[in-house]
Amino acid sequence: MEQLIITKEKLPTMLDELAKEYNLIAPVEENDYSTFLQIEKAEEMNLDFLLSRIPAKKLLFDQTETLFKFKPGKKGEIISREFSKEESVVFGIRPCDARSFSILDPVFQGDFKDPIYNTNRTNNILLGLSCNKPDTNCFCTSFDDSPASANNVDILFTDLGDNYFVEVVTERGKSLISKVNKLFSTGSKSDEEAKNDIEKKAIDSITRQMKLDGVVLNLDKMFDHEIWHNTAFKCIGCGICTYLCPTCHCFDIQDESTLREGARVRIWDSCMNPEYTHHASGHNPRPARMNRVRNRVYHKFSYFPKNSEIFACTGCGRCIDYCPVNIDIIDTISKVGEIKID
Amino acid sequence: MVDQQLLIEEAKKIVSQEDVKYVVGYKKGTYGFTVSPSYAYSPEYVENFIFNPLCTKNLTVYPMLEEKLPLGRDEKEDTRKIGLVVKGCDSRAIVQIIQEKGLKREDVVLIGIPCTGVIEPRKINRKFPDVKDVEDVLEEDDNYIIRFNGETHTIPKNELLSNACKNCETPNPPLYDVLIGEKVDTPEIQEFANLKDLEDKKIEEKWDYWEKHFDRCIRCYACREACPLCYCIECMADSLTPQWLRRSVNLSENTAWNIMRAFHLAGRCIGCGECERSCPVNIPLMELNKKIEKDVKELYEYTAGKDLEEKPLFGTFKPDDPEEFIL
Repeated sequence: MEQLIITKEKLPTMLDELAKEYNLIAPVEENDYSTFLQIEKAEEMNLDFLLSRIPAKKLLFDQTETLFKFKPGKKGEIISREFSKEESVVFGIRPCDARSFSILDPVFQGDFKDPIYNTNRTNNILLGLSCNKPDTNCFCTSFDDSPASANNVDILFTDLGDNYFVEVVTERGKSLISKVNKLFSTGSKSDEEAKNDIEKKAIDSITRQMKLDGVVLNLDKMFDHEIWHNTAFKCIGCGICTYLCPTCHCFDIQDESTLREGARVRIWDSCMNPEYTHHASGHNPRPARMNRVRNRVYHKFSYFPKNSEIFACTGCGRCIDYCPVNIDIIDTISKVGEIKID
Repeated sequence: MVDQQLLIEEAKKIVSQEDVKYVVGYKKGTYGFTVSPSYAYSPEYVENFIFNPLCTKNLTVYPMLEEKLPLGRDEKEDTRKIGLVVKGCDSRAIVQIIQEKGLKREDVVLIGIPCTGVIEPRKINRKFPDVKDVEDVLEEDDNYIIRFNGETHTIPKNELLSNACKNCETPNPPLYDVLIGEKVDTPEIQEFANLKDLEDKKIEEKWDYWEKHFDRCIRCYACREACPLCYCIECMADSLTPQWLRRSVNLSENTAWNIMRAFHLAGRCIGCGECERSCPVNIPLMELNKKIEKDVKELYEYTAGKDLEEKPLFGTFKPDDPEEFIL
């Protein structure tokens, strides 16, 4: 892996240079939080926030996508959607959000290759940014991930104070760097050590851990356990935990039309919503909030690992941070693992 | 300061009553400054009840969120009471709901807390980021005493107080069954002082301002679910026949949602601030609610949730009601 150094002053120059050829996407501040948006100039970027409030999944799987448009009536027609070939440089994606893409891949690249997701997946070049100071509810290390992991990005940047330590991971990352290589210098052994030191400090600062031992096996035997009632009592049934989750990927498809034109749209759905999987017959397979809270946990920690051999959780902590009633997935799962079942 | 021991004793008495199903109070959360709602079905579960300035949550949503699932052949509906720990604004919510006949007085047992305001979680988390375990938060002479990691911090109350509390005229619950401690004095307030910036804006500026905010809305409906007064059996935002609101998340639909939400609370919002507090994208929803509250007060001399005997705003009519603004 190629290891380079870029000074902090030169980073905006690098991004502005790349913006001439690529779309540039980076965290931007919006009313006291950040979110990924396309920007023109690097100066619009804000790296003060650890995680973007809306997870980076929106870059691949946006909240509202138009699948196609149509005109109804005898002279009706279908207007297909065009897929952009433009490549984007995504700067500042955190290792956990980058990892969420690997979790979403089996969903959108399985039997059906979702064209929107896959186009975005191919077009986005990921320039990751290590977390020097993980937050209270960060627990990526519970999934053997690291706050400075280069596993799921094309290039990883780590803040060393005055410089960024740059690890070029993929061929795609290499060819991107080659376009701006005059801005970089070669990383030394001591730079690598400095990065490792930062990574170790970051890992050590993560105090909350999710105990995952025995969770999948236990969940098989505790569908009717009282823990689900106890966990869901206080749930108010909003969609924060699902919409802010980097791996939640359920969607709804609707036709939205006026007399003259219409569109088939795909929107994020939330299993916390009573309407979710409500049958046309009127039957609702998950009539109560308990059923819905339980389903979300089972999907992430039982069904998904069985189907795709990976937990559908990255340990980003957003669902814990923003739950209005302190439903805490670390707490729930750790309790699940501790329960003794014959 | 609220006597926590007294609160626990009273809650224990209530949960032991045969006609009480459960009591909802507050307990310490799982991390940092977080406080969690706590359900107690029997006296031993009351032991973890707390009350301190971090207890923001309006627990009166819980009787409204009770799910009435289809009953089995031999099952009977559980009509026992729900016990609730209520601050001034929370109690107003119950008064308003009873006025609207959303609940009956005998459906609830209220443990009233004379409240001197709560801390805004967003403010304290910004002031002390990344605090893992909090020992204590107390209020003392216009200061908050905050203890964690062996440190003690004294912060002026005004710095951390929730904006909703800065305009509060009802610190004491207007309706309760037991009151924990003595009533507190109602502070002198400049009502609707926070609205000045909004009202001074030109109409185009207002539109720009709200467009900017509504554009970010992700329609998670946390504002609705956190609100004790948003208890329609089917929300117009969920209705499919007809579909009043499209599921697409864009400025047009988001604006429709946010305006409808605010208007459906006209003369009903009791100002607890839970909608704004739970919003994950920081939309200043209370500015909308407060503006409508102010208009309702000026036009109809009406304030929501004050008196059990009063009729709700939309249940009243006077021949001289102002109507110039009706199109």
